[in-house]
Amino acid sequence: MSDDDFLRVTDVSKWYGDEQVLNEVSFEMNRGDVTVLIGPSGSGKSTMLRCVNRLAEAQEGSIRLDGEEVLSPDLDVNALRREVGMVFQGFNLFAHLTAVGNVALGPRRVLGLSEAEARDRAEAQLERVGLGEQFDSYPAELSGGQQQRVGIARALAMQPKLMLFDEPTSALDPELIGEVLEVMHGLVDEGMTMLVVTHEMSFAREVADEIVFLDDGHVIERGPPEQLFENPEEDRTGRFLERIASHD
Amino acid sequence: MSDPGTLALAAIASVAADLPAGAALAALAFIGEAADWEFVVSNADYLGVGALLTIGITVASILLGFVVGFPAGAVEVYGDGLLERAVSIVGIVLRGTPIVVILIVMYFVVGVPQINLGVVSISSAMTAGILGLGLRSAAYQSQIFRATLSSVDDGQLEAGRSIGLSRFEAVRYVVVPQALRRSIPGFQNEFTIVLKDTSIVFAIGLAELLTRGYDLFSEQTTAVLEVILFISAIYFVLTFTTNRALDYLGDHYAIPEGESA
Amino acid sequence: MASATRPATVRERVADSDRSVGRLLLLSVGALFWSWLVVSWVNRWLGGVLVPVGQPLLPPGAVEATVAAVPGLAAYAADAAFVVDLTPELARGTWLTVVITAVSLVFGFFIAVPLAVSRVYGRFSAWLSLAYTELLRGTPLLAQLFVLYYGLNLASYVPGAFSGVFVRDVVWVAILGFTLNGAAYQAEYIRGALESVEEGQITAGRAIGLSKLETIYHVVLPQGLRYAIPSWTNEFVYLIKYSSLAAFITVPELYYRADQVASETFRYTLIFVVTGVTYLALVLTASKLMERVEERVAIPGLGVEREE
Repeated sequence: MSDDDFLRVTDVSKWYGDEQVLNEVSFEMNRGDVTVLIGPSGSGKSTMLRCVNRLAEAQEGSIRLDGEEVLSPDLDVNALRREVGMVFQGFNLFAHLTAVGNVALGPRRVLGLSEAEARDRAEAQLERVGLGEQFDSYPAELSGGQQQRVGIARALAMQPKLMLFDEPTSALDPELIGEVLEVMHGLVDEGMTMLVVTHEMSFAREVADEIVFLDDGHVIERGPPEQLFENPEEDRTGRFLERIASHD
Repeated sequence: MSDPGTLALAAIASVAADLPAGAALAALAFIGEAADWEFVVSNADYLGVGALLTIGITVASILLGFVVGFPAGAVEVYGDGLLERAVSIVGIVLRGTPIVVILIVMYFVVGVPQINLGVVSISSAMTAGILGLGLRSAAYQSQIFRATLSSVDDGQLEAGRSIGLSRFEAVRYVVVPQALRRSIPGFQNEFTIVLKDTSIVFAIGLAELLTRGYDLFSEQTTAVLEVILFISAIYFVLTFTTNRALDYLGDHYAIPEGESA
Repeated sequence: MASATRPATVRERVADSDRSVGRLLLLSVGALFWSWLVVSWVNRWLGGVLVPVGQPLLPPGAVEATVAAVPGLAAYAADAAFVVDLTPELARGTWLTVVITAVSLVFGFFIAVPLAVSRVYGRFSAWLSLAYTELLRGTPLLAQLFVLYYGLNLASYVPGAFSGVFVRDVVWVAILGFTLNGAAYQAEYIRGALESVEEGQITAGRAIGLSKLETIYHVVLPQGLRYAIPSWTNEFVYLIKYSSLAAFITVPELYYRADQVASETFRYTLIFVVTGVTYLALVLTASKLMERVEERVAIPGLGVEREE
């Protein structure tokens, strides 16, 4: 890859107690790239994602984002997270706040915008994800798909330079997955840099610049979608993709 | 004035009156009922001041309990090391000791002085009472908040951190508002307990409702039952209205359709 | 792959050993506390076989000399001797505290079960039960004791069969007060537990031909009472602590005895700190005991998902 790598992950390892969950994971991506992490559950892909915004702490290795060392002990993690948006599998919407309240909290409390400015920005982001009608609904009053779109709007409201998606559609009923993927497609078209963990293989195939296959904490294989889907070099990759395909 | 309670007790007393030993006293209380109730009514304002003191002590103790108990609960959830352990041990001691012992220790050991505020002065019994009830309440409130703070899903905190809030801010803006709403039922219980336990400052001679009742019936010994029933009724009205008020508060601040994932 | 397992950090190991040392310490203090109590009680019942009745188990003079010999503790030698001097009175008072608590808890339980059952399954009786629990839970316990003792003068009417069982007949008044009050609280806990037993359980009971009452007895109560154990622990602890209020109707339990010595010696601080510690020891014993009971009667798969 070119040497202006926007995100460069090098030999990242992590343990939970005695169990090693990441084993010298390396990959890199450029600005505007979409990279999709795939792998069986427990393979460490969600943990890898969380290491990028330090919701999980990698114990060894290096993660450089836009020239800065993410794993440096001196790094201001809050400043890092201001610039890296995250979308969760379980939505994790703030249960006591309306849709606007959820999206406006960051601009208001982290960026220090006024009440009115924060609300304006929140409404704009909600409209961007197609929720112009649901400003004042509480999370419990929204469908799963709508909740996840609020989750995406909440991350976008911080105007991040990198978006992390942690299985954004896994907790959704099949008929609600489409609306979330549609919003994600829109972001790809706008040129957003995205690191995505997902089991949606058709989405991965369509939008990914690179796919990284993780198993048991190791990077087994990585490359452009055509290569991984058509001619996987490793047996394990092929077997995993077959298993996923048979489930679809 | 002949409410069902009095009737029931009258029935018990009339049975008691058939018993030989010292029945005269109990019977007298009912023979002289009208006069004794008059005695109670004529002293209603004296008891009223006691009731106001009871309310004042309750409110002050609950507030002190909140100011100390909320941070203590937060330390038990989010803190670690020495501080967390110290807080939890102090809590166990305060919850495991009778309130009357706590009050006596506050009164004699801490020896809080009288506080002069110009217009009003707060007696040392009052200060000891509020400190004792307040700190004990803090120990219980810390458990309420500990439970509700840890009942808020971890994902909430994580989502807060993910948009760049510091740990403190994420707790402050995301976890605390949800935890406080869930604390209302426990708080309701705690309010009732403190209100009822203000009666125990009797032990350090503070002239609140029960102490004033005691003074009254010591003065007119035939009116014992009337006085105690009257003050009990006041306590009951106070606990009942407080509970209904907090019920209303709970409904008012409820998050629509409960908590979502 | 050499680093596949990460050994426990020093800090984790220290914390681990800290905890087990703490537990061991607590256990031995508990054992010491209860042997002191039991030996004191037995000594008194047997008329002073070990030491004369009213004398501490250890001679205060010897304790004072021993403590004085330890460097750094010499200043506390006189206090230590005073506390030792205090122990016979404390042991005596604690006996009454334990008895009043235990008896009231058990009596209260037998009133609480019908109260709770009628509250959940009764019609008119549900209202009666509600009125009783609301009234007793809505007024101070001390006021209730005053009604029984000063208002109704019940201490004069203790039936002959009960009279003379305790040092003073007024102990029965206290037991009555705590029983009636405790029953209201226990009924509330048991009601909550009964309501958490699934509706289907009753239907199933009726389907095999049990009457409504039989279904409650054989099916609902055995499950519901298990759910009630944690809150029952609360009630146990509550009674131990609030039994101290019996002192205000002249029952010579722990607090009363402490208060008496304090008013003679004016050593309020030391006496009430020691008294507080004694109550704390009783409370901690009760909650540990109930933890054991809960483990013992647990049924696999029942109540686990109800953890709050």
